[in-house]
Amino acid sequence: MNKKILLPILVLAFIAAWPFIGGPFWMSLMTQIMIFGLVALSVDLLLGHAGLFSLCHAAFFSVSAYTVAVMQVKFGMPTEIAVPAGILMGTGLGLLFGLSVRTRGVYFILVTLAMGYVIWGIGYRWASFTGGDSGITNVPAPTFFGFKISDPMHYYYFVAVLIAIILWFYNRLIKSPFGLALRGIKSGEDRMRSLGFSPSLHLYAAFVASSFIASIAGTLYVYYNKFVNPVSASLHVAVEVVLMAIVGGSGTILGPFIGAGLVLGLRNWVSTFFELHLAVMGLVFIAVVIWAPGGVMGLIRRFLERTKG
Amino acid sequence: MSETALSVSNVSKVFGGLRAVDGVSLEVAKGERRVVIGPNGAGKTSFFHCISGVHQLTTGTITCFGEDISNLKEYDRTLRGVGRTFQISSVFSDLTALENVLLAMLGIKKAKWGVWTPAAEVQGARDRAIAQLENVGLLGKEDLLVKNLSYGEKRQLELALALVNQPRLLLLDEPCAGLSPAERHRLSDLIKALPRSITMLMIEHDMDVALKLADRVTVLHRGQVILEGSSDEVRVNPQVREVYFGQV
Repeated sequence: MNKKILLPILVLAFIAAWPFIGGPFWMSLMTQIMIFGLVALSVDLLLGHAGLFSLCHAAFFSVSAYTVAVMQVKFGMPTEIAVPAGILMGTGLGLLFGLSVRTRGVYFILVTLAMGYVIWGIGYRWASFTGGDSGITNVPAPTFFGFKISDPMHYYYFVAVLIAIILWFYNRLIKSPFGLALRGIKSGEDRMRSLGFSPSLHLYAAFVASSFIASIAGTLYVYYNKFVNPVSASLHVAVEVVLMAIVGGSGTILGPFIGAGLVLGLRNWVSTFFELHLAVMGLVFIAVVIWAPGGVMGLIRRFLERTKG
Repeated sequence: MSETALSVSNVSKVFGGLRAVDGVSLEVAKGERRVVIGPNGAGKTSFFHCISGVHQLTTGTITCFGEDISNLKEYDRTLRGVGRTFQISSVFSDLTALENVLLAMLGIKKAKWGVWTPAAEVQGARDRAIAQLENVGLLGKEDLLVKNLSYGEKRQLELALALVNQPRLLLLDEPCAGLSPAERHRLSDLIKALPRSITMLMIEHDMDVALKLADRVTVLHRGQVILEGSSDEVRVNPQVREVYFGQV
């Protein structure tokens, strides 16, 4: 029982102390890690629990980011309207794209891949509205009911607290009957039918919930980055967030964030001295899939079991 | 006993050129225990798939407790009290034994959509699940992953999943297949002790088990009913001997 409380407290303490340990650069990187970790977590709700491999989560992420940017920059709307609108648009897209749960396996991957491309194409080509290649710049700092969060450190803590709250809900969700049903579907979908479940309905709901989480991450991202361009909707991002979940440990809560830390941390570090940093990342992923299919969390669990027994 | 639990009328299931189930009709009274026998490939499991809704019917109608369920989806039939086990164990191997039973319990409830209360704490679910595991002889195994259970234990769990919701109509597809004689004995005793409120339809190859449990026996051959009668009638029938042992 103590261990269950100890781990979140340690993680929270680490996150709280980080800006003072790392300084502005590492604090900024950690903000980014938390935001992308949240996207990875949204992907992992489908991948690690329901067994669906989605390649369109960059779409929800970017649609909500674009919505916020357009409303704030082009229409001068306040944050209190822009953020709910962004989440609504991303989740609304999830309601539509969620129809992809009618397919399974490789077809699901292909359908979501195509959906992701549609959103990327719109962002890239509908230049009059989205700013095309250069995207939308000069997104102002978020202002909630008169409180402006312009200091990066304030924003860091804002993101951290918000994600902590989301994780608390997420933890309830995956232990609930709904979460158990998702794992049942992953383990044996046909049998779920004979027990009275309608797997497609559960998967659809999970898909929409997942797009909702990715949309929240999108709004956090656009205020962090101050601009948004079509790269956020690209296949590159869609694949990267899946890899974060796998590298960190699919089916866990902390895993996607650890994965985000590894991917973004490695990229920042390797790219300072090696141009082909993407190739290095590729090798890391291959190594993980071959030697540590449970990701970092899987390795930790294996280590703990070995020291115990 | 006179009320009809299950009425199957002229049911066929055709796969391409194969008539797996070919115009089967039968009636099972409420509380009855009917055993379906027949040689390999007779269409027994396909027939069960037709009743439970895994297969959509090619022709015919199925009425369960007075309600036409022919066109209902599989999960809708489950909600109406049709429970079943599968021939090849299809329990959830990545989950624990307890989680398996919890899923079965949640399947017919609105609570399966709950996103807040942990699954084990829904309306005393854990206690009921443990009681069911104890009933099938799996007490103490509740927190083991099912992939670590033995074959026999998986069969016991399979039965627990079908029983936990107290179905009105229970379809058992070779519940004892592949078990050791001792395990088989245990499981058939367990089935025999089930309350008569459960109408039972069972496929069984083991004649000892079948005849011990059956009120009546239906013999299927090449997708058709060739005989229906008491255990003794079936035992001495020359046509049954012929399809099982070949012409003498």
